[in-house]
Amino acid sequence: MNQNSPSAGWKSVVLRYETLLLAVLVVEWFFFYHYGTTVNRKGVVVGFGTLDRQFDILRHSCEIGLLALALTPVILTAGIDLSVGSLLGLCAIIFGKLWREGGLELPLAAVLTLLAGALAGGLNAGLITRLRLPPLIVTLGTYSLFRGLAEALTHGAVTYTDFPAEFLFFGQERWLGLPTQAWLFLLAAIAVWVLVHRTTFGRSFRAIGFSPEGARYAGLPVGHRTGLVYVLAGLIAALAALIYTARLGQAKADAGTGYELFAITAVVLGGTSIFGGRGSVSGTLLGVAAIAVLKNGLACLPVVIRMNAAEEMSGMFTGALLLLALAGSILPNILSTLRLRPQAG
Amino acid sequence: MNRYFREISVTIALGLVLLAMAVLAPGFFQPQPLLSLVTREAPTLVVACGMVLVIISRQIDISVGSQFSVCSICAGLLAARGWPLMLVVPASVAVGALLGAGNGLLVAGLGLPSIVVTLATMVILRQGLNLVQQGAFVNLPDNVQWFGLSQAVGQWTLVAAALVLLVAFGLAMRRIAAGRWVYAVGADAEAARLAGIRPQLVTFLVFVLMGILAGLAATMNIVQSPQVQPMAGAGLELKVIAAVVVGGVAISGGGGNVWGAFAGLLLLACVSPALTHLHIEAYWEKAIQGAIILLAVVADGLRPRKN
Amino acid sequence: MRHETAAPLLTLAGIKKSYGAVRALQGVDFELRAGEVHALLGENGAGKSTLINVITGARTPDAGTMTLAGRPLGELTPAVTRALGIACVHQQPALFADLTVAENIGLRLEGGGPWRWVDWRRRGQEAEQLLRRVGADFPANRTVRELSMPEQQLVEIACVLGSGARIIIMDEPTASLTHREQARLFTVVRELRAAGTGVIYISHRLEEIFSLADRVTVLRDGESVGTQAVRDITEAGLIKLMVGREVAQLYPPAESAPGETVLELKGVGCRRAGVRDVSFAVRAGEIFGLAGLVGAGRTELARTLFGLTPADAGEIFLQGARIHPRSASEAVALGVAYVPEDRRRHGVVLEMPIAHNVTMAIHPRVFPGAWLRFGAEEGLACQAIRDLAVKCSGPDAPGSSLSGGNQQKVSLARWLATKPKLLILDEPTQGVDVGAKSEIHRIIRRLAKEGLAVIMISSDLPEVLGMSDRIGVMRGGTLSAILPGGSDPHTVMAAALGQAK
Repeated sequence: MNQNSPSAGWKSVVLRYETLLLAVLVVEWFFFYHYGTTVNRKGVVVGFGTLDRQFDILRHSCEIGLLALALTPVILTAGIDLSVGSLLGLCAIIFGKLWREGGLELPLAAVLTLLAGALAGGLNAGLITRLRLPPLIVTLGTYSLFRGLAEALTHGAVTYTDFPAEFLFFGQERWLGLPTQAWLFLLAAIAVWVLVHRTTFGRSFRAIGFSPEGARYAGLPVGHRTGLVYVLAGLIAALAALIYTARLGQAKADAGTGYELFAITAVVLGGTSIFGGRGSVSGTLLGVAAIAVLKNGLACLPVVIRMNAAEEMSGMFTGALLLLALAGSILPNILSTLRLRPQAG
Repeated sequence: MNRYFREISVTIALGLVLLAMAVLAPGFFQPQPLLSLVTREAPTLVVACGMVLVIISRQIDISVGSQFSVCSICAGLLAARGWPLMLVVPASVAVGALLGAGNGLLVAGLGLPSIVVTLATMVILRQGLNLVQQGAFVNLPDNVQWFGLSQAVGQWTLVAAALVLLVAFGLAMRRIAAGRWVYAVGADAEAARLAGIRPQLVTFLVFVLMGILAGLAATMNIVQSPQVQPMAGAGLELKVIAAVVVGGVAISGGGGNVWGAFAGLLLLACVSPALTHLHIEAYWEKAIQGAIILLAVVADGLRPRKN
Repeated sequence: MRHETAAPLLTLAGIKKSYGAVRALQGVDFELRAGEVHALLGENGAGKSTLINVITGARTPDAGTMTLAGRPLGELTPAVTRALGIACVHQQPALFADLTVAENIGLRLEGGGPWRWVDWRRRGQEAEQLLRRVGADFPANRTVRELSMPEQQLVEIACVLGSGARIIIMDEPTASLTHREQARLFTVVRELRAAGTGVIYISHRLEEIFSLADRVTVLRDGESVGTQAVRDITEAGLIKLMVGREVAQLYPPAESAPGETVLELKGVGCRRAGVRDVSFAVRAGEIFGLAGLVGAGRTELARTLFGLTPADAGEIFLQGARIHPRSASEAVALGVAYVPEDRRRHGVVLEMPIAHNVTMAIHPRVFPGAWLRFGAEEGLACQAIRDLAVKCSGPDAPGSSLSGGNQQKVSLARWLATKPKLLILDEPTQGVDVGAKSEIHRIIRRLAKEGLAVIMISSDLPEVLGMSDRIGVMRGGTLSAILPGGSDPHTVMAAALGQAK
């Protein structure tokens, strides 16, 4: 904790976790750029180095990125939300059902879906703050419940498709040079960043994460703030559901299965402490990018292509990266205890 | 308030479900399908016993599903090479112990949060297995399924084995000093340390035991079919955690027992066949299981608490 | 029965221990003989708890040697000290809430390996016997969660009795016990002494020390300032050793004349907190001291006033208007400030910078529209640091980098920033070094002079007597007496203990 002396300003910037992660990301990117870009027989550049591939990475990381954004405030309060992936699926189904079977206009259906997401987040919030139940278990329950409802609503079989082109625009086209959903993602990222880093809400999230009792004794509205992060998570999960539907052009019950794990991984990789209090939105964004680049980059490496193991390799590397990040986060503690040892006895 | 409030209430809930089934759909109680159901859940019960210990010690292990898969494939490959089951079982258990020790080292040794550690090992193990196995099934020799015996005998053997293990755990956790140590560490690691217990060692061994049980459960699973699928353990972790939580094991550590987890597991396992017999669409299964978990924790939340 | 010539059982020499910047022990010498009750005395924060932690192996000392029955001791752990026959009755019972009394006692008593089959029926019977011996009247198969605080204390004592240890440490064992239970405990301690056990007895109650102890060692500011036979010393002499200076000159004199009534309580109670029928009034510029034993309901009353455990009986008036705070945030908005007892858990968020801690209770005022204004925040923090003379490297220093006294000042600064009408201080100088202590006293005086109504909870009797304009004494969850400031300590003690005089 060397944040106290002003002369160490440049040091504290360079040694910040986010800076290190950015460096890793850059090295990672150039590595894949170098080894993952090839020229095929027709003389066309293919692989990682193409602009199309870069846009693809962006397109594919938006939904998990949104869930990671949703989880950052949650984890800052020392909570967890396992239900975001399931909620993505449920919201996709609700959206499809409202539009197709309810006959609603798409914008109205979208707004109602966002509302449903916030409501579902409210269920988590209510159980966690009103009844003081552990978030891990509550969201484990809603993890099953939301996915189960999505399956029940569709009888496990119905898939909603044939969305009009103006809706698919949000998931499959470009706007101002970038994939459309990237703009939505950027908007959400800025909103969460402002909330976490520039308002008293973010300050309260941290205080609650560090010490819920301390925050309560300081007169902070702990229940309200804690509830808010889960409602917000529900809202963002619903937004992710809309983008998911627009990207694939279909809404189905298994949408977003397993996404929660990637999102949590991204958040923790981004330097947010699972014990709460510490962390940043920029770290989360870097974490999402590191995972997305790793996944796509590996898929472009000739070795991996020959082995046909892109998915597996990226999974293993992501897991290893997560363990490394964790071990790194406790390194200062270990060093300080080692330094203290000789004085003892 | 009774100490075993949760265990009793879950058992009563299970009894009510069974009673309702007896009235509404007596077909539920046909012996053969019921035996099959219980046999299918036997490995889950074994894993649940381990998870009870892990959660009582105030940790969590999300990687059990992956451990289960890895052990299943290892056991399957060895059995396919003609190893006798007498050797396959210890080998699978050893693999499980090794995986558990890995988690234990990271959690107890380095003091990393178990939820993130096991999240990482879950992904690493699962994808590592996929990398090696590429999704291929392992075909087993004939003498492996049901231990080479008739199906009924094999099923009874498995159920009996799981029940023996359950009773052994139930007794050991109550009767053997080490069992009480786990509760002590989960309730208050610092107080446990003051009482002369070594919390880190206990935590480490709990993870090792979790791995051993996952390895054992894997062998109990592979003998049930002629093939081993690499995805055998996918989703097992959440199923087991749900059963344990419904059974009243406190996620904050220090409380609960295997009997409650047993009742919780049966309750959740009953949902699917009960729906079939009540002619309700099976798609409701997951939603109902989720609702059961929430109901169980809400019941906890509404109980008046001291302190 | 005195064993004057008995060989020393336990000898400590030059024990030193620091927590970060705080030097808790700075060279303590101590000697315990077999068959004696050796009292350890000292003000709050003098280092008694740290010394116990060193003896029980819970903390490793930075320097010094320990000898047990002539054998030098190496590095200690709780397991090792237990095997050596050292046991401790902790002030806060270190019990496992979800286990039964018998299981708790079993856990503490059992030696040996992990795979032993435990005979719970025998354990249960033994536990019952131990409980009877300490005078408890509840069965051993109850879970600890179901027991009250004093009952848990008895279990803690039973654990230690059953261990058959040759050295028993008792850290304020009578703090929450009833008279009958105390008398029972004293008999047990005398039995132990007769059996040749060495007892280290820690208490704030001098009369206990005079009736029970053979020798007494006084700790002051982390040093042992003297060991004497109890029969050779008077109460006044002991106090002088403890305080090390004249009590009178320590406290700044009152300068303010109390103004109009700020807070008035009429029959206030809260069943959940165990507070009942409290009535008193505090005026502007007045310091109202709240004395009483640990567990008498003082902190609970403060928490009720602060909305953490809302009142369910009676009426609270603040400047004439009836209030009923249902949460801390409501209380803050009403103008009530509470500087909690446990500053590390409640008073300061240790991981956050001083600046964040100082503004934490005034978010709506400093940050209109919820928008953080870092400049304004830093300004406020710097001002608070200057005003209260907080020793730190700057407003960005985390709370954990501060010493206890400076943490307390930050906690105080947070609440002063709310510009409260009523300030409740809970043990404002507990665990604070002498210098910071008198600074905090001067700050409290200044605040009263500026017209704030102050309620000061303190277990430090000289502090209550020296600082308060009036003293309320609590006992068993209610107010048992209101005494004028400067009352003599015995009257206050009598009221706290419920002895009619």
